[in-house]
This record gives sequence, structure tokens and C-alpha cells, in this order.
Amino acid sequence: MSFFARFRQGMRAAVPIWIAFVPSSIAWGIAAERRGLSIDEILLLSAWVYSGPAQFAVLGPLAENKSALQVLVAGFLMNLRFVPMSTALAPFFRGVKRLPLLASSHVVSASSFIVPYVQFQKELDARAGKVETGRDGYGNLAFFLGVGSTSFIVWVAGSGAGFGLALGFPAAFDEALKFILPGYFAGLLVVEMKSRGMALVCLGSLLTALPGALMNPDWGWLIAALAIATLVWGTEQWA
Amino acid sequence: MTRLSIILLMGLMAFALRALPQLFFAGRKFPAAWDRWLRYVSYSMICSIIAVTLFLSGARFESAAAPRRALALAVAVIVARRSQSAVTGMIVGAFVVLALTWLS
Repeated sequence: MSFFARFRQGMRAAVPIWIAFVPSSIAWGIAAERRGLSIDEILLLSAWVYSGPAQFAVLGPLAENKSALQVLVAGFLMNLRFVPMSTALAPFFRGVKRLPLLASSHVVSASSFIVPYVQFQKELDARAGKVETGRDGYGNLAFFLGVGSTSFIVWVAGSGAGFGLALGFPAAFDEALKFILPGYFAGLLVVEMKSRGMALVCLGSLLTALPGALMNPDWGWLIAALAIATLVWGTEQWA
Repeated sequence: MTRLSIILLMGLMAFALRALPQLFFAGRKFPAAWDRWLRYVSYSMICSIIAVTLFLSGARFESAAAPRRALALAVAVIVARRSQSAVTGMIVGAFVVLALTWLS
């Protein structure tokens, strides 16, 4: 199959991601505009950072001009999840030169990891575990780019559209707009929540974040989050 | 440090986290324990951010708005869980908080 045919195959597989990205990216654009970010900053964050959870996570501290270190640490911790995703995809790109590999890695996200990964595993199983070689890596890269690059475009365009929509919202809707960010996060969490450990982490963090933030508005919530996660994780390790 | 330079640095760090594993850790797996800790930290941070964003304004607790926002959050969580859609939960929660604001 040619590079472009494989790219189109990836695009078709990405349609559900586009549908999910439209409201999320618009919500991000609206939330960011309401927090005082400019259209340039919103588009730059979406295109250059391209990480919904991290963008939402740093929105508050960034908009309130909190310490740069705090924003960077929060963003770094949120984006650490890309490490195992990118690592899991890497073996399927065997034979691909470094430059295209580096360029394409920018569009690794949770969604653009899951769809290609499942597809590659399925194809690998169909070939009864035959090892990928040479040109197959480029075919897989084409499929990955079909998913990742088109989803990326939808995300960035949606962010810009959200900025425009927010400008037209009357002030009476402020309370609802303020709810978009935490409401979306909470929804993401409960949809993904599958273990008692995660439920404990979430409950513990919700309860300790406010006292932590009231004691130290810059770092309190972050330290509380790290402490709760480590505590639950440590308890599970030793139990 | 300006906001623009923070965004550029943040993007550079995100890019490094995406690109470096492909160059240096191809084919390897993380220990399950570390993978789990990373997942817990992410979830914990998200929950902390929910609480801070929803109930604090700067360093001040918004006591007047807190009950309606907490109720809307509970509704959003239930709807998202039942519909398995974060966006649906968010939209319903936003309508609830809006309705409660107009009623009060």
C-alpha cells in the first residue's frame, strides 16, 4: 500500500477523534479567552504544546502570571504520560529516518497513540508476529500521521474557533463558562476511572487541594497532589 | 519570564518527552510500578486543579458560589459516568450551574 493510501486509511480511522476534539478544543479556546489569553497565545499553546490536559492545567497559573517554574513543572508532569505512549509506538516505525521520526513525534497524543497502536498490533497479529522491517515502518508512520496530523489540525482550528465564540458570549454566561474546565476534567476522570486506587487518589486530591492552595496558593495544590498520589501508590506497593 | 517564553519552553519540554523515547527507548517497557505512579500523579493533579479552579478565586474561597458549583459538578460527574461522555457531562453541568445562578 502506498504512503498516501496508508495516510488516508489513518484519516478514516481518525474521524471519531475529530468529532471528540471539536467540542473539547472549542471549550479550551473559550476557557482560555475568558482567562485573558490572547488569540496568539491560545493558538501557540494548542499548536506548540498540543496537549489538552496540560493546556487546561497551566491555564490558571499562566493567566494569573504565577511563577514560570510552577507552570513548567505542572506542564511537565502532565506531559510525562507521552513517554510510555511514544515508547510503545516506536518499534512500529523501524527503518524510519530520524528527521521524519522527530517531526512526526510532535503529534503524539493520547488519542493519536491509541488508534494507531491498536491498528499496528492487529496487523502484527494478522501476520503471525512477523517482525516489521524497512518499508513497513514508513507505512506505519503514514497511518500514524493520518491519525495524528489531522487530529492536530482539528484541535488547533477548534481552539481558534473557541476564542471567537467566547468573544460573543454575554457576561451572564460567565458562571457556566467558568464551569467548562473543571466540568470537562471531572467528566474525563470518571469515564476513565476503573480502579479503587484511582478513586482514592481523586477523592483525596479533591479534599486536600483546597487547604493546600489556601496555605500556599502557588505550590500547595501541587504538593498536595503529589503527596496523595505517592501515598496511595506507596500503600498499594506495600500492601 | 514572559508568558510567550513560558509557552515556548513548555512546548519544547513536551516535544522532548514525545521525541526522546522514540530515539532512545525504542522497544523497552517501563516498570509497571512506575507507570502506575505516573498515572496516579496525573489523576491527582487533575483533581486538585478541578477543586482549585472551581472553588478558589486567587487565594480566596468563593463561599457564595461553592454550593451551586459543587452540585453542578456532582451532576456532571453522574451524567458523564452514565453516558460515558465527558463532554455531555460538562454541558449538562454547565446548564445546571447557569440555572442555579439565575434562580439565586
